[in-house]
Amino acid sequence: MTIDRTIAPQPGPPRPYHFPRVARRTLDNGLRLLVAENHNAPLVSVRSLVRSGADYDTPELAGLASLTAELLDEGAGTRDAVRLAEDLGLLGASLGSGADWDASYISVDSLSRTFADSFAIFADVNRQPLLPQSSLERVQSERLMELLQQRDEPASIAGKRFSNLIYGNGTYGNTVIGNPESVARITVDDVRNFYETHYVPNHGSIVIAGDVNAEAALDTASRFFADWPARELPPRPEIAPKTFESSRIYLIDRPTAVQSEIRIGHIGIARSTEDYFALSVMNALLGGVFNSRINLNLREKHGYTYGARSMFAFRRQAGPFVVSAPVRNEVTRESVTEVLAELRRIRTGDVETVELEDTKNYLMGSFPSTVQSAGDIAGRLLDMELYDLPTDYFDRYRENIGAISKQDVEHVAQKYIDPESVIIVIVGNASQIREPLGTLGMPIHELDIEGMAIG
Amino acid sequence: MRGTRDEGRGMRVPRPCPCDTNRAPMLQLDTYTLPNGLRVVLNEDHSAPLVAVNLWYHVGSKNERPGRTGFAHLFEHMLFSGSEHVGNNEHFRYVQSVGGVLNGTTFFDRTNYFETLPSNYLALGLWLESDRMGYFLPALTQEKLDIQREVVKEERRQRYDNVPYGTAFERLLNLGYDPDYSYHWPTIGSMEDLGAASLDDIREFFATWYRPDNATLTLIGDFVPKEARALVEQYFGPLPSGGPFPQFNLERRPLNGERREVFPSPVQLPRVYRLYHFPKMGHPDWIAADLLSSVLSGDKASRLEKALVLEQQIATDVAAYVLPTEATGIFMMQATANEGVAIEDVEKAIDAEIARIAGEGVTADELTRAKNRAEVEYAHQIENYDSRADLIGMMSTYFNDPSLVHTWLDPYRAATGDDLQRVARQYLVAENRVTSLFVPESV
Repeated sequence: MTIDRTIAPQPGPPRPYHFPRVARRTLDNGLRLLVAENHNAPLVSVRSLVRSGADYDTPELAGLASLTAELLDEGAGTRDAVRLAEDLGLLGASLGSGADWDASYISVDSLSRTFADSFAIFADVNRQPLLPQSSLERVQSERLMELLQQRDEPASIAGKRFSNLIYGNGTYGNTVIGNPESVARITVDDVRNFYETHYVPNHGSIVIAGDVNAEAALDTASRFFADWPARELPPRPEIAPKTFESSRIYLIDRPTAVQSEIRIGHIGIARSTEDYFALSVMNALLGGVFNSRINLNLREKHGYTYGARSMFAFRRQAGPFVVSAPVRNEVTRESVTEVLAELRRIRTGDVETVELEDTKNYLMGSFPSTVQSAGDIAGRLLDMELYDLPTDYFDRYRENIGAISKQDVEHVAQKYIDPESVIIVIVGNASQIREPLGTLGMPIHELDIEGMAIG
Repeated sequence: MRGTRDEGRGMRVPRPCPCDTNRAPMLQLDTYTLPNGLRVVLNEDHSAPLVAVNLWYHVGSKNERPGRTGFAHLFEHMLFSGSEHVGNNEHFRYVQSVGGVLNGTTFFDRTNYFETLPSNYLALGLWLESDRMGYFLPALTQEKLDIQREVVKEERRQRYDNVPYGTAFERLLNLGYDPDYSYHWPTIGSMEDLGAASLDDIREFFATWYRPDNATLTLIGDFVPKEARALVEQYFGPLPSGGPFPQFNLERRPLNGERREVFPSPVQLPRVYRLYHFPKMGHPDWIAADLLSSVLSGDKASRLEKALVLEQQIATDVAAYVLPTEATGIFMMQATANEGVAIEDVEKAIDAEIARIAGEGVTADELTRAKNRAEVEYAHQIENYDSRADLIGMMSTYFNDPSLVHTWLDPYRAATGDDLQRVARQYLVAENRVTSLFVPESV
């Protein structure tokens, strides 16, 4: 049988997709437990979170939440750091811990046959970390070296300056990992205080996904965590973003640069916004996926970059909206112009029906491929817990995306994107790009790598 | 292609084998070859309403000539720029607009292209992949080449030239292999060669390598095998195979002693990079090396991390790993010196740990942990359709045998402490390595 190659084949009937059923239990101390069974592989993913992250860091102690999280695997219960790694290795399990702006996390991935023993170690790490002084000194020194190395990474310099210009030195204005001064200041008492204050059951959730029996897993988790005492939490620090009346460029010279790292944007909106689905569609169309306008323009039409994208950083409080693009030196000005033109265009309601449908179909259709593994499912359960999403959220996701119209896209573009008052941060070779950028008609402020004004 | 996937630098080696044989069902593979030479592997699995369509072409930067480096990778970009019946960038649009995810990657020995689609779109994936396998040349234009050449140059700037230590792997390859040996240059190629690529070069490269008898098509997921077979036959059956393949001499000339360089560059901390020569992937010594790399690095109980980072605190990070290479084996090692520590002292400490394993061997627990890690990593690889398809494609392409996914880890299970000790003694020696020391320019 021959086929007609000139037309794309038609699809068969769509196959149903359901997010795995989630079993839930809340312990008397407030700890929330969620379990989703998935028997595709003999693996289990366990994650805990407490709803405190770097958003609780003070400017003086920026990096404390992430440093505390990083120290959790430096020994717990009766095991020191090496013993912990040895015993996990013998179980075929791996442990991780870390913090972002919104939360602190601990994870253990194990084989299903070693789930019970691995979970016991996981419980120790959550409840009885040793947080030793000697480890703090080492981890602190490693962190300082990491910060030192970032001074040579243009993407990291650009990101830091961009956040700091919008949020100042308060919440979201530093990086999660802090700065050299703040990290050096952190003592083991700070770490232990942060742990005691924030790692409490009434503030946390534990999710388990994979090859387990849901009821049995809930019982196991209850056994290890039921006697964890609850405790009151301090109020959460609020962001204090700066507002700008007009656009401006901040230029950071890197004389050896062979590319300009560009960041363009301003403050965005919190994850809890009722416009979340409309914003997801609008951003995907604008710069969120490969076939989005910004990437097609800068990469596929002009060959300026290996990749350009836009994003709303959805957090508990309003994170930034930012377009990022590394481009070659000679086309820095042109790239800024093209990005601003795309930001203006998306606000005009100039959206093709096919473009909108393609974008929505992508968001709706790609969801199942992002939740294949136990670890993927655990990650979705964490999202659910972190942002208090309704229990039917993932089952209704497609429906919610499907309902977004052209008017919705235009509405959120106008409401949340303001191309006339953006911060533009460029890390690049100033002697080559300063002059062309001057023709854009915006003030140019030159900064050093630490953000101090030059000249 | 998009920058989200690495070309292979630092990539962890997939390590197949069902890790819990009581529970994990053996993968059901249906393997056959079309008359035109295309090998097809079907793995029916209805756990998600998805289908992974995955093509491995047996061509990579290994099949380039000096002066024309970077072709295989540039070509990977070109294959997304349309074919006779699919417009420029339409490949991405067709896949994404139905909720598919896709990409392609290039390494020394192979190039892969893959999409994971809602399973009712299997025919779409086959149409797209067969169109660019069979009908690419009519749609090729100078303009498309020029754009993608610029994109690849930006990729090189972004990932190699504009970041600290970005050229380390390239430098090791330059040191480790003679200029006429195909692993002498990295997949990304040189700026000069990228600039020199002509439309005729691209045409010739395509005609030589991109054909059914140089590829494996793996389909995994929610389909009816009989229907999938019929579709594969319809879309790929009519494509012609090609003539003989050009030959490459992949016999590596041995080093005459260690080759070393000190490379001052804009970095804050010195870092040592080493490449040790090994037999190619799959050789028992390569497998022992893979396990040995887990004993050396990867967690706080591993030898190098424990000694250099936790106890002596002379390094901020260490890593040891093997690469999945077909022509010859590569064992990589790297460590960053802590502030104020001479990189030579870090090297000495690494060598002391290697000498300890060479002298005393590894413990039974260390061997068990290394084997556990291999098994778990494999289980993670088979968990997702897309990574499972890559695994099968690799077995087919490098070893000519997709069914190796069933037995690949057997030699891992059989490896002994003596094997690891012997490999450390035999291969992890100065005469068998090249070393590049990245040091701050001011020093």
